[in-house]
Amino acid sequence: MAPSGDFALIEDFLQFVGVFVSFSIAYISLRGVRQTASSSLLRLATAFAFLGFGFLVEGIVGLDALSPVFPTLATTVVVAGLLLETTGYFFLALSHAVDVMMSRRLAFALLIFPVFTLSASQLSSILGILSFYFVMYGVFETTLSYSKSRRPDTLLIAIGLALIGSGIFVQWLSLLYSGVEVLSLVQIIMKEVGLLTLFTPVLGFARRFPGVKLDGPI
Amino acid sequence: MAQYRTQVRIIADVLNTAKDMNTEGSGVGITILLRRGNLSYGRMSKLLLELVGAGLLLELSGDKASKYAISPKGIQFLAAYGQFEDFAQSFGLRL
Repeated sequence: MAPSGDFALIEDFLQFVGVFVSFSIAYISLRGVRQTASSSLLRLATAFAFLGFGFLVEGIVGLDALSPVFPTLATTVVVAGLLLETTGYFFLALSHAVDVMMSRRLAFALLIFPVFTLSASQLSSILGILSFYFVMYGVFETTLSYSKSRRPDTLLIAIGLALIGSGIFVQWLSLLYSGVEVLSLVQIIMKEVGLLTLFTPVLGFARRFPGVKLDGPI
Repeated sequence: MAQYRTQVRIIADVLNTAKDMNTEGSGVGITILLRRGNLSYGRMSKLLLELVGAGLLLELSGDKASKYAISPKGIQFLAAYGQFEDFAQSFGLRL
């Protein structure tokens, strides 16, 4: 259920913050792909591009809910936004899965669930569960990576992903308890704080290399 | 257990060797690159051809065999590699 009034406005604003953060990370990753042809960065760029588009679609739907223009499209577009977001989390999990397989460590197989004809709310629930699963896998792998590298940045990313995962869980709860409006706001705040934490490497990148022009392949 | 190296990591290792071991300025021989790069002769020869072709390494004519030195473009590649490796590691990933 969509929140109303001020909650909806705040939620929508936060969706657009998510768009900015996701596209910033995707942009830096894409520059990295152009510079180094790294497949890890390509998967990271793909993940955050999907997340950015997912937040964008959800943000646009939120704007439409405040002032309806396309009421018949709303449900389909919400599911499309969630699908984009889930795909983003899938690529994030895939990045870690490929990294694990290349390191020849114990790989945890990603399960792909078949999706049959389902109602929009059932589909939203399934996408929420899948997103939660993918994000938690990312938390697990990032924490493992931190235990080896002991980099504070990596720990922050693990915390950020855990916050996003918790946000997705609360989002799923908000589908179950649709009368509790505050859950919707709590989930988006948790996801946004998580996303802002993921923004740390971008800030670090800009701080460490302020004058470096990196456009164009080397 | 041996750590898997991606192609871009191998390239960075070879370029780093060509940069660090070229103390006299006359280039680095393939033997040193092989020892430090931990690659077979065939694979290293192919990689060196590609790196010279891409302008990342300079091939210098020695008395007996060719020697290699890192080019300005190669140094630029290493700088970019370092930056993005740091970025990827923040996400718990390797380049």
